[in-house]
Amino acid sequence: MLEVAGLDVKYGDVQVLWDISLTVGTGEVVAVMGPNGSGKSTILKAIIGLVRASAGRIALDGKPLAGVPTHAMAGEGVSLVLERRRLFPQMTVLENVRMGAFHPSARGRERERLEWVESLFPILRERRGQLAGRMSGGEQQMVAIARGLMSGPRLLMMDEPFLGLAPRIVGQIVDIIGRINAEGIAVLFNEQNVHLSFSNAHRGYLLESGRIVLEGAGLAMLEHEMVKRVYLGA
Amino acid sequence: MTATLFLEQVVNGIILGSMYALMGAGLALIYGTMRILNFAHGEFYMLGGFFVFFLFAQQHVHPVLAVVLSTAAVALIAALVQRLTVDILLKREGWAFSTIAVTLGVSVFLQNLALALWGERFQSVPYFVEGILQVGEFRLPWQRILILAVAVAVMATMAAVLRWTRFGWAVRATAQDPEAAAVVGVPARRIHTVTFALGAALAAVAAAMLAPVFAVNPWMGLPLIIKAFVVVVLGGLGSFPGAIVGGFLLGIVEAVGITLTSSEWRDVIAFGMMIAFLWVRPWGLFGVKER
Repeated sequence: MLEVAGLDVKYGDVQVLWDISLTVGTGEVVAVMGPNGSGKSTILKAIIGLVRASAGRIALDGKPLAGVPTHAMAGEGVSLVLERRRLFPQMTVLENVRMGAFHPSARGRERERLEWVESLFPILRERRGQLAGRMSGGEQQMVAIARGLMSGPRLLMMDEPFLGLAPRIVGQIVDIIGRINAEGIAVLFNEQNVHLSFSNAHRGYLLESGRIVLEGAGLAMLEHEMVKRVYLGA
Repeated sequence: MTATLFLEQVVNGIILGSMYALMGAGLALIYGTMRILNFAHGEFYMLGGFFVFFLFAQQHVHPVLAVVLSTAAVALIAALVQRLTVDILLKREGWAFSTIAVTLGVSVFLQNLALALWGERFQSVPYFVEGILQVGEFRLPWQRILILAVAVAVMATMAAVLRWTRFGWAVRATAQDPEAAAVVGVPARRIHTVTFALGAALAAVAAAMLAPVFAVNPWMGLPLIIKAFVVVVLGGLGSFPGAIVGGFLLGIVEAVGITLTSSEWRDVIAFGMMIAFLWVRPWGLFGVKER
């Protein structure tokens, strides 16, 4: 469904991504694992158009996404949960979630999707009127995911969805990713932790210094010699 | 000072404050969404004054129509200015200073344009409504009551738009996190242009209402924009409700202050208040304390 081929990204004169090629199939969960500063976030930002690629091709179901502005991506079926939640802090929980359905293509089904995301995260219904900036990190992450789902994406991207969360919350988010995927939504997420990445994804990519150095099925990645040696200390 | 005189001063302060609030609210709206200080804000105010002078005083258009047309014209000009200057700079790295330079440039350009078109003479505009309201010893011209009513109505409408409409949600979201807003489908560029135009329109409304009280001239925006900056600092940079409260507060303190001293002290009082605020509460009334 999503095809990225030969992607290069530069920040000024500094190149941060080199020849990235990856795919996400329909209904797949794919993880990009890499250490801090390896360029994971930049891949997702390039796909949704927040940073510009200097070379390469990005396509969704064969349709090139180059030149589609970020604010039109929701209409293409692509959504992104930004790193560190990035809620609208002075808006309420309900306003934040409803903002997720801002794109014209999402307005017609706003009500039923709101019901769906509130069934995924029942706490959002209880906290509707609370200012998003005053919630805990885990609750904010739930609002952020709910907001990302309100446009009805075919591909949901999540930038470090487990960052800074308590283990119990991490378990909940993992569970939610499974439930989102069960609805037929493809998921592409970033993570620094090897286990969290590859045990929760159908397929995974290993990113080092802006280059993909390894790819494979999720569980096979965990068993790979290189991953074991470098990241698992075996 | 008698109680009546004191009350009159407070009422005058509220009326003047409503104008400061209108000016400050426009400036705050623009700063809040784009993080730019619009130094041309006073000149959009000035254009509003001249358009009302032209339509109402010279062409004898009905005052309601004259005010509406003037405001719409200023909004259109502001949208054009935004697209030709600020919009281009917002896309570049390190644009913060260049937007100050460019809005200052626009300010100087518009002042000189007005000078060339209408000359340096102070032009007077008749009152929209005649007569004086008298309750006991208390006297107040209807024109001033009209100023307050229009200001309150315009600000309430604007607040309702921000709170309840899709456009308002988009403005608030863009102000709070432009990237996250873009991801959910908010076209930030269009929101920026419309917000800039609306901010300028608020200034134009203020000018239209004040034109009969003060005279119209190419430099009429200067004292007002300085006060608008004070208001925005008092209210908390970029806070719309903060600017409104700050505007009324400044108006009342100024009006009462000058009856206790003299009118030359007006600006001293305003800036003294701003400095005192920066000292004890630098993030303003409604701003968020930064760590």
